[in-house]
Amino acid sequence: MSRWIAILLLIVCVFAIAHVSPATLNAAETSSLDPTTRAAEAAKLAAAVQPLLARHCFACHGPDKAEAGLKLSQKESAFGSRDGGAPAIVPGHPEKSELLARITSKDADERMPPKSKPLKPAEIEVVRRWIEVGAPWRGHWAFEPPQPQQPPKVTKADWVTNPIDAFILARLEENGLTPAPPADKATLLRRAYFDLTGLPPTPEEVVAFLADTSPDAYAKVIDRLLASPHYGEKWGRHWLDLVRFADTNSFERDGIKQNAWRFRDYVIRSFNDDKPYDQFVREQLAGDELPLVTPDSIAATGYYRLGLWDDEPADRLQARYDELDDIVATTGQVFLGLTINCARCHDHKIDPISQVDYYGMLAAVHEIRPFGEGNQVDMSSPQIVARYEEMERKLEPFNREIHELEQRGITKMSAEDQRKSEGKGRDKLLAAKLVKMLEPADWASYSELRQQRAAAEAELGKLPARETTLGIKCLPKPPETFIFARGNPHVPGKSVTTSVPAIFKSSLPEIKPPADGKTSGRRLALANWIASPDNMLTSRVMANRVWQYHFGRGIVRSSSNFGNLGDSPTHPELLDWLAAELVRNNWQLKPLHRLLMLSSAYRQSSRGNSEALAKDSLNDLFWRFDIRRLTAEEVRDSILAATGTLNDKMYGPGVYPEISKQVMAGQSVPGAGWGHSSPEEAARRSIYIHAKRSLITPILADFDFADTDGSCPVRFATTQPAQALSMLNGEFANQMAGKLLERIRRDAGDQPPAQIKRALWLIASREPDAKTVDRSLKLLQTLADKHHCSPDAAMKYFCLMALNLNEFVFLD
Amino acid sequence: MAFNDPHRSSSNFCGRTRREFLWQAGAGFTSVALAGLLSRDGFFNQPARGAAMASTLANPLAPKPTQIPAKATSVIFLFMYGGPSHVDTFDYKPKLYELDGKTVPVKTKGRGGEKNVGRVVGPKWNFKQYGQSGQWVSELFPHLSQCVDDIAFIKSMQADSPIHGSAMLQMNSGKILSGSPALGSWLNYGLGSVNENLPGFCVMLDPSGGPISGAKNWSNGYMPAVYQGTVLRSKGAPILDLETPPGATRELQRDLLDALADINSDHLAARSDNTDLAARISSYELAFKMQKHAPEAIDLAQESEATKALYGMDHPRTLDFGTRCLLARRMVERGVRFIQLYSGGSHNDANWDAHGDLEKNHNFHAGNTDKPIAGLLQDLKQRGLLDSTLIVWGGEFGRQPTAEYANGTGRDHNAMGFTMWMAGGGIKGGCSVGVTDELGSAAIEDPFHVKRLHATILHQMGLDPNRLSYFHGGLDQKLVGVEHVDPIHQIIA
Repeated sequence: MSRWIAILLLIVCVFAIAHVSPATLNAAETSSLDPTTRAAEAAKLAAAVQPLLARHCFACHGPDKAEAGLKLSQKESAFGSRDGGAPAIVPGHPEKSELLARITSKDADERMPPKSKPLKPAEIEVVRRWIEVGAPWRGHWAFEPPQPQQPPKVTKADWVTNPIDAFILARLEENGLTPAPPADKATLLRRAYFDLTGLPPTPEEVVAFLADTSPDAYAKVIDRLLASPHYGEKWGRHWLDLVRFADTNSFERDGIKQNAWRFRDYVIRSFNDDKPYDQFVREQLAGDELPLVTPDSIAATGYYRLGLWDDEPADRLQARYDELDDIVATTGQVFLGLTINCARCHDHKIDPISQVDYYGMLAAVHEIRPFGEGNQVDMSSPQIVARYEEMERKLEPFNREIHELEQRGITKMSAEDQRKSEGKGRDKLLAAKLVKMLEPADWASYSELRQQRAAAEAELGKLPARETTLGIKCLPKPPETFIFARGNPHVPGKSVTTSVPAIFKSSLPEIKPPADGKTSGRRLALANWIASPDNMLTSRVMANRVWQYHFGRGIVRSSSNFGNLGDSPTHPELLDWLAAELVRNNWQLKPLHRLLMLSSAYRQSSRGNSEALAKDSLNDLFWRFDIRRLTAEEVRDSILAATGTLNDKMYGPGVYPEISKQVMAGQSVPGAGWGHSSPEEAARRSIYIHAKRSLITPILADFDFADTDGSCPVRFATTQPAQALSMLNGEFANQMAGKLLERIRRDAGDQPPAQIKRALWLIASREPDAKTVDRSLKLLQTLADKHHCSPDAAMKYFCLMALNLNEFVFLD
Repeated sequence: MAFNDPHRSSSNFCGRTRREFLWQAGAGFTSVALAGLLSRDGFFNQPARGAAMASTLANPLAPKPTQIPAKATSVIFLFMYGGPSHVDTFDYKPKLYELDGKTVPVKTKGRGGEKNVGRVVGPKWNFKQYGQSGQWVSELFPHLSQCVDDIAFIKSMQADSPIHGSAMLQMNSGKILSGSPALGSWLNYGLGSVNENLPGFCVMLDPSGGPISGAKNWSNGYMPAVYQGTVLRSKGAPILDLETPPGATRELQRDLLDALADINSDHLAARSDNTDLAARISSYELAFKMQKHAPEAIDLAQESEATKALYGMDHPRTLDFGTRCLLARRMVERGVRFIQLYSGGSHNDANWDAHGDLEKNHNFHAGNTDKPIAGLLQDLKQRGLLDSTLIVWGGEFGRQPTAEYANGTGRDHNAMGFTMWMAGGGIKGGCSVGVTDELGSAAIEDPFHVKRLHATILHQMGLDPNRLSYFHGGLDQKLVGVEHVDPIHQIIA
């Protein structure tokens, strides 16, 4: 028995490293005599060994490389005899298995993995024991289709509100843990408000909820919040993180992506309408190829245009494929939870994803023209579009000839003037000097052409304005796609056709060009394949994200990487069950939110208890609800809400809250690309702030706004003094303290205790406790006595302090 | 700013899974384990007023052990933004004088595209050999030329892009695409900070403005915001929002912070296992300390007139860059890991981007910086700091030997061969490595890619360029990329 306990302890240590829940192996403790238990242990060992091999061995003995002819990612190779020696693994015989010999060798030249740290004793013990019990082979969990799941049986059945709780509780009971008690009503309400809308409840909403003792009081709140337009603003932002949304292109000019905001609005609207996720996927990937194309579905294709774009690349071909790579990488990670991008230069080192898989996927989007060759799509009526096209055809020769003549003159100018002609001063320069540089005949035709062009432009100006959105233009025919040696587009290899990664063991639906003949239909085929209930990853990846945004972490923590280097799910059966629920509910998210939020698991308190902390300090088993810091937008938006200054106007072009001169000084042209908004417009929700890649609004950047240059599946939540400095000394914080002062005077009359209570209510969404009020009153006293502050000044400092409270920026 | 440990959050590691986090924990990259032990022992149960608490909490950005023995502890990167012409500064090409004005076949690639012939612009300054080692320096640097025996010149630098935007990103972050962490972020990620009162990654800009792409040049990319560069100003409050708002004295703010800490401690008492809450309490104390120490760090009143003169601060021309160089030394003394100074900002001739009048442009920028840089080297040396301070000088690329336009002396960009130099921090002084062709148009012997420069900097700072990695997007990302990259051993002492 003692041996089993020792092994158990070792296994637990391994899990602390490999991050598989320690709970998964408790069965080992109960000896190996009982066959059921033994089978359970074998299954768990198989699950534990797989990521160990992937992490330590696959880089040289995996999908990409098979050094010494050994692929530990393939059963035949791992168990087979090899030239020059024993098989790597002899099931049942650790002592005959070369794998064990090599990972335990004392000889540095023999020991595996070479040139890096040896496996830890606990890890080695897991491998040894796994071989001993017969080396049961198991593939990577995510590459097996999800299985239908039945909620497990539990003892404490009265805790089970819905099947989610059964899955959670079963694991808790298995590990001798009990769930935390329910959170109090005010806490729960604040949690629900932030999770669904990103904003705090008002004191009045809290009071009303506390007074509502009906059994469905909470469910009613959830329904109301799901119907709130703020829901789309909160959940749309999650999506914008994933698709690396920004309004500009980065690089030297960091130029604006015209009408990117229409994509942002499309996303918000889609969430508010509870658009089925499969449709949401189809619209973004192939909104222009759907049987029914709408302005909305066209706006959705802005998806392809959100990435970085260098308008002046050093190597155009490289830049072209960097742009496509960004699309393949984002599509793979966001929709499928796969890092397909790792197979751009060589087969994926760890996951079974080949270069053929990568380029097969690239072929699906290959027909999209580069960003610089057209990124605005007309959403106006076909008649207007036709007239514009006609006018543009007319203008084109004038523009070309005028430009030619100008260049002819410019080449004769001084170096300084030539330089000037490349910038803003061009028109002025040409007006002053061109006449002297051109032959008289050229000058005459130049003047004539300019007149004709002006006339044509005037005509164009009379047409009704056209409405365009950020979107794609496609090549008449998709170019041939080649595999590039080491990812270098200058070294094309074998040609490939559109395909999906082989691990799916499925193929694309038939590619049919849409009726208008403008595109190939490849993207629609890809979209239909991704958005299919049969796709083994799509529904699991999305269900996991929904879980993550409610519970603070995914069932799979690495929510955009379900591969071998990602985390194993802490509750794999629950994940499969949720994925099935998502599909069963017509891919709509709102029923899923409801289910999650009504569960007892979600309603737990966040308080710790020493026993559970000792057993599961990272809360792998969800024995409580995790405290979380508000996101950057939630911090800013709830400051605006608490101070009564939030402008809840929705949609439209981005707004520009004031950015201090010191911050602007970092730009090569201070202030460039940053507009001016009225104070009312500047007080809109953060999702409407113009997202300029090289100039992120400081308060958002300080609180870990999503990196705009790559897909962001999980926000950081860092703590750093820059946050404290801006919240104490910054202009925004101090201005908002003033607004809070005005508000509490308005709401609560002249008496400091009442004003303080009102402020604390607004900050924490609950009845303030006497101690806090007391401490606040004492602060006022100190400020008056010691620092001679006027009552107003003192109260404003109190307001500033209130905005800095931990209770304000952390959610229980 | 790098003061806190991003890994202490219990659940959020953007782009990183907890496994990655735990790997790093194994590599000594976090203090979360300690924090966990403390919390388990009920350490955080004792409510403490802010100031007391900050001193007893584990410092979240404690210095981390180096991966290999370190030669240097700080880097000063003197960024000559715009691209100085190597053939007019350090890469002596006698042939160019003879060919002045002649059109010759030469392959160039710049902003104006690829060309096969060009009109040679003879160098506008004479070169001489200096020091015992006989390094070539042009008349542009009368002061710096006296320091060459401490300098290693890399005359065969290569970058992937001859365009400012992408080349700047590459020099600062290793990649021509934005979104990756800057060199200073990598150093702070790998080494931590030894002074919690100052940012570990400071950037000082030219008075004419920032470089193009602005903050992207000191961005933390896919790493947490704690590794972001902080713009340090030489006038007024050195750091954004460092000054208390008008009317609020330091004593007043102390009382405000005590009340805040009291209420936050009450809140923490019931949540004592949560280290994020404790960390935020202590971050206010750090901020309060910074408000005192950061202005002291930039207060030059303590410097003698002789020192100021050494940096050229007694002359209006060199006052600005001299001040920033002196500040850089003070940052080094205070343990700041990475300090970047920009010579030149904004656009056109406000930086070294000499497309029009080469003479006017380079006389101006070299004249502004020559004495201050020489002063910095001398001052560091006399204080015994040069051995542990790595100085890097250069731009995002060099310039072509030929003219860009039909008239004039302006040169277009050149990423196929250019010069950078390093000094101090375990670098071998008085040497030159790498060679460009006789026109200086491209590196022909020992070409050194920007990655090699980065690898050298990491190596001197005690980090293994091929092992310092950060898991993101399915890959172990490295500053130097996925392929193995060696430091430039030839210039390492």
